[in-house]
Amino acid sequence: MSWSSRLAALLPGTVARDTGGTEPDPRFTFANERTFLAWSRTALALVVAGLGIVQLLPPFPRVPAGRHLLGVPLIALGAVLAVVAYTEWVRNQHALRRGEPLPQSIMPWILAATITGMAVISAIVLLISALG
Amino acid sequence: MTTPQAPWPAGGPQRGHEQDEAGDDPEEIAGLARERTSLAWTRTAISFAALGGVVLKANVLTGLIILAVVPVIWHLGRVTRGSVTGTSLSVIGPRRLFIIAVTIAAVALLCLIVAIFGQAVPGALR
Repeated sequence: MSWSSRLAALLPGTVARDTGGTEPDPRFTFANERTFLAWSRTALALVVAGLGIVQLLPPFPRVPAGRHLLGVPLIALGAVLAVVAYTEWVRNQHALRRGEPLPQSIMPWILAATITGMAVISAIVLLISALG
Repeated sequence: MTTPQAPWPAGGPQRGHEQDEAGDDPEEIAGLARERTSLAWTRTAISFAALGGVVLKANVLTGLIILAVVPVIWHLGRVTRGSVTGTSLSVIGPRRLFIIAVTIAAVALLCLIVAIFGQAVPGALR
């Protein structure tokens, strides 16, 4: 499948016209929707955290770009997470309609990798500003 | 207490089944799922408001834009509050969630601009 047709399959109009399988139990549809909303809030929380770091923290001594180094990736991740959450919702709904097993989600991996990366960057920034 | 009206036309949980136990009624369980979803929508709207509040401190105009989004988000969750019935959830679902995803991505980009070019409040947490 080409990239453009993959993107077209994600548009809400295409998803709404999906008539494969049967309409799933509304409880499952609601659960899928709540999962999406929970990821959306996670994305918003990352944006708030990133903005808070850049705007509210005092600058790190000896690391002038330290706040931006920590905050900007968090905000960017928030944008990525929101979009991926929607694609995951589409995939889950597709599987629910057909009674297939739910696809493996990559979102926990993205989140864990980013938190690990941010922790490492934070430690480095703190060490440089304390010892440098 | 009235059970919220089921939004699905057919093919949903089996109707006409007698209730095995109290609280086992599929419609009642779907009503609870609907209520949890409604609360999730409310929390999402509150999260937008919280973000708007933080951004307001950094850049008033951007903050106001984000705060203006809050009632829109809350309105998108109306389906889960039972005022829209008889419409298949799968038809109205994708558009609402797509709007949310696009809004968050746009808001994140706005915040990125504010974070990079905005005037930082030096040591506001000092």
